[in-house]
Order: sequence, then structure tokens, then C-alpha cells
Amino acid sequence: MLMLGWTWGLLFAPQDAVQGNSYRIIFLHVPSVIFAELIYFFMAVCALMHLVWRVKLGAYLIKSAAPIGAMITFIGLLSGSIWGIPTWGTWWQWDARITSTLILFIMYLGILTLHGSFSNLEKADRLMSILVVIGVVNIPIIKKSVDWWSTLHQPASISVSGGSSIDPSMLYPLLISVIGLGFTLISLGILSSRSYIFIREKNKRWISENV
Amino acid sequence: MLRLVKAESFKLSKKLKSWLGPLLIMVLVLIAFPLSIDISQFDLDKFYFSIIIVSLLMTSFVATEGMFEEDFEDGSLEQEFLIEKDFYKLVLSKIFVYVCLIGIPIAFIGALFSFANGVAIGSFAKVFLLLSLSNLLLFNLFAFGNALSINKGAMLGVLSSLPLALPVIILLGTAVRSIQFGDGFAAIITLMIGVGLVMSAIMPLIISAALKTHID
Repeated sequence: MLMLGWTWGLLFAPQDAVQGNSYRIIFLHVPSVIFAELIYFFMAVCALMHLVWRVKLGAYLIKSAAPIGAMITFIGLLSGSIWGIPTWGTWWQWDARITSTLILFIMYLGILTLHGSFSNLEKADRLMSILVVIGVVNIPIIKKSVDWWSTLHQPASISVSGGSSIDPSMLYPLLISVIGLGFTLISLGILSSRSYIFIREKNKRWISENV
Repeated sequence: MLRLVKAESFKLSKKLKSWLGPLLIMVLVLIAFPLSIDISQFDLDKFYFSIIIVSLLMTSFVATEGMFEEDFEDGSLEQEFLIEKDFYKLVLSKIFVYVCLIGIPIAFIGALFSFANGVAIGSFAKVFLLLSLSNLLLFNLFAFGNALSINKGAMLGVLSSLPLALPVIILLGTAVRSIQFGDGFAAIITLMIGVGLVMSAIMPLIISAALKTHID
């Protein structure tokens, strides 16, 4: 599905009247940044599960999702930076949206580093969950940054309420790319969490009986 | 509570490097910056506030760096847990003492330097209030970072708590603009007081949970 979205977007969607072919990076950039935020939100829900109901799986899912979140945030930042050259004439701008996304990337690294620095994994799980819950404050800031401040970054072109300022010939491949990347990341998440659960539970009887 | 405040004040006053270090760093940065770049006073006045904000961020981080580490290493935290069964009061009094003994003097230094760099004399009180409130927020956040990393080094503390300081910096930037252009300051300061009160009530709970995890 991701390949379909990208092929449609990169080869068959029409050129943009102002940006020419350079706009085509949206088929990578937009899905990446959407999932950079969604993955963090998912991690925050898992962290609450772990802290409130002591569900171990919550912590395992955070630990598995964090590297994927970091990777996709990095791709979002990098693709945005590459897009910045033809559109803004600069690789980087200390604009509210870009800076808050960079902060999100640092948050992902912080979560991974925090977990990695404790040898007692149960302790690491709890501390990591606390940090994830507190860090969720950054998500609405990223989302609303383009509305709250006058930024170089454009406001959202698609809204959940249904409105879109993108022509359907570009919108459909974009939506397919978003859904496709979503499925790809879910698959990656399942694979990553499966191997992490095996690592953490390797001494448990259910592993030796079933695997 | 008063016992804890007294004990924490005594402990901090004995640790010279913990309270004097951040104050000296603040003064050094604020003096060194104008010397290190060759620009006119007019240009310097325009962005000197940014230097104050960055120095504030840096010094509040340095000030809170070892907030719980020593207590954790020497067993005071465990002892306190056995007496109180919770760290809420300890954290609250620690942050209170740090803000009073380090945060407010830092805010005073920052306000003095801003006054010397283009801010009108009538705005001194505004700047001082703004910087003091910012310190309250930053000390709460960095105390959280310190409680998470405890004895694992400053880098981890920065990684965990600096991103959370972003909203404070944004608020500060807006407040600075309102001081420079002379409108909307009351609304921002009210918002900061509100956030400060909420944070001072909630953060010790979260920090307490993090400290308990270390003791467990």
C-alpha cells in the first residue's frame, strides 16, 4: 500500500503549480511527521497502562515503539530539511514547528537512554513510563505550533473535520501513503515488540513451552 | 514540613558549590557574552534578554544537578521514606529551598543585567517577577530530570527534562515581547503563576514516584 501511494505520488500525481516537482517529498514527509506524533501518543497510553494497572506489556510496547518513533521523527526532520532548500532557501529554521519536532526527537532519545541506563529493568520500565507520560505535553505544542505562532512552516492542509486545501489528484496518493506507512510501522512494531517480549520473558515457562 | 525546610536550608547553605556555583555562572555568562562579540549597545539591547533566558536555563539546570544524588548515596532518602512513607513533603521543601536560596538570587542578577541593557527602570519589578516565576517552573522540571537520572549523570537529566522546559521558554519569550512592547504582561504573568502553582503541587508527586522507584 505504501508502494502504491509512493508510486502514484512520485510518478503519476501532477506537478505543483508553484513548487514544481519538489513538493513530492510530502509523500514521505507528511506521513512521517504524523506518525512521529501518533507513536508518542500511543506510548503515552501504554505508559499509563503500565503505571496505573501495572501491565508489563505497556512498558514492553513503549520500549519497542521508541526506536521506531525516533527513526520516523528523524526521517520527518530530514525530509523537511531537504524540502526546505527549494521552498524556503534554507536547510533549517528555528521555527516553532520544526523546533518542537526536534524536541520530540530528543524526547525519544531521552526515553531510550533512560531505559538503557538502569540494569534493573523493572525500575527502568517505571521511570521510562513516568517520563513518557510527562513528555506528552509536547504533542499538543507540536500540533498547535503553526496556529499559536507565526511560523515559516505552513498550517495544516488537511483537517480531521474533513476540510482539505490539497487537490484530490495529490490528496489521494498522500492519504494512501499515510495509511501505507501506518501499516508498515504497525508491522515493524509487532516484530520489534515480539522480539523484545521474548528477550524480557526468556526465563519464563510460557516461552519455553510455546517457542 | 518546617523541619524539612530547616534541614534542607541548612544542608544547602553548607554546600557552597551548589548555591554559589550557579550564581557565579550566571554572572560570568552575562558579563562574558557582550565582551565576546563586537556589536553596538543598540544591537545588544535588542537581544540581551535571550542571553538572560539561556543563562537562566543553564544555571537552573546546574543548580538542580545534584539535588537528590547526595541524599540517595548517603541513605538520607531511605531514612526519610521510613519516617514519612512518602517523599512529597521532602521534594516540596527541597524545591522551595532551592528556589529561595538559588532561584530568586539568580532572578535578581538577571533583572539587574537586563536593567543595564536597555530595559526601562520601571520594568525592573516585572523582569524580576518573570525570572523568579520561570525559575520556579524550571527548578520543578529539572528536579524531575534529576529524580529520574539520580546518580546516572547530568547528560541523562538533560535528555529527560530539557524537552519539558520548551513550554516554559516559549512562555518566557512571549512575556519578554510583552515587556518590550508594553502590553499583555498581566495576562502572561497570571498564566505563569497559575502554571507555577499547578506544577508546584503536581511535580513533587511525580518526582516522589520516581524517587520511590529508585528506593524500591
